[in-house]
Amino acid sequence: MHISDGILAPEWCLLWFAVAIPFIAVGVWQIKRGTKENASYLPMLAMMGAAVFIISVWHIPVPVTGSCSHPIGTPLSAIIVGPFATVVLSTIALFFQTFFGHGGLTTLGANTMSMGILGTFSGYLLFLGLRKVKSPLWLAAGFAGFAGDIACYIVAALELALSLNPGSVLSHWALYTAGYMPTQLPLAVAEFVFTAGVVQYIADRRPDLVAKKLWGGVPSA
Amino acid sequence: MLDRFTKTALALMVVITVIFVIGAYLGYVAGSEMEGTDAMVEDTAASTANAEATSLAPAITDVVGEPIGFTIAGIVAGFIVGYFWTELFRRRENV
Repeated sequence: MHISDGILAPEWCLLWFAVAIPFIAVGVWQIKRGTKENASYLPMLAMMGAAVFIISVWHIPVPVTGSCSHPIGTPLSAIIVGPFATVVLSTIALFFQTFFGHGGLTTLGANTMSMGILGTFSGYLLFLGLRKVKSPLWLAAGFAGFAGDIACYIVAALELALSLNPGSVLSHWALYTAGYMPTQLPLAVAEFVFTAGVVQYIADRRPDLVAKKLWGGVPSA
Repeated sequence: MLDRFTKTALALMVVITVIFVIGAYLGYVAGSEMEGTDAMVEDTAASTANAEATSLAPAITDVVGEPIGFTIAGIVAGFIVGYFWTELFRRRENV
């Protein structure tokens, strides 16, 4: 989902920045509040930031398709440190990833939109919904990881179609999504597994660290 | 003597490495170049509108190569994750 510089039209780059900035602002506020109220929040943020950076840049080979891609890690981060803080973390991660040849500076807003906002919130809202209907924590977290991963790539495909193919958005959206999915589906399953495992592990060892009232999450127990 | 965290981390590293190696080997056997889907889809999209991917930021990987660049990134991120992981979870174990 890392869209490079030069691909999106300037007006679309600006629009995605405009959409992303309010989320980032709320995220900064959430981080400030979280670090004041919980001493463990800052190290958890640092850990999640590094995790999101490496999870979303390291390409994993998928032999079924003969290509490679990466999970995103933001649904996991959203459950642990909160969704808005995750938008900030993913923006920082995406910025540094441009120096590894992934993504671009002008498309930072668009990439934040797909990975940091839609990838985060789709997974997080599904997590909350499943927890409301008494789903086990690991299952809710796993589905959050899966859904966030897939949503991220669907949105990236939409961003490409909106900017490059304004006359035939739907057909090109479907085409680009179909291009991503064969490689991304196995990785979304992997994202299910590690999101479920890590969240359950943290909830077992340090239930106080899984998002609770501080950032509008739900109790882990 | 290795503690439990180190043992788990090492076991995970071995499992992940095995998955990577098997995936890369099967791709090699199948004659695939294991190209990234981000670039593949982006190229396809760009070709429909005569756009061209560029890079405004200087890429470290262009200087040192992708294997070394990503190894350095992995090491740095791994140290950060490992350091804070032990810091966060050791407190609980010591209570």
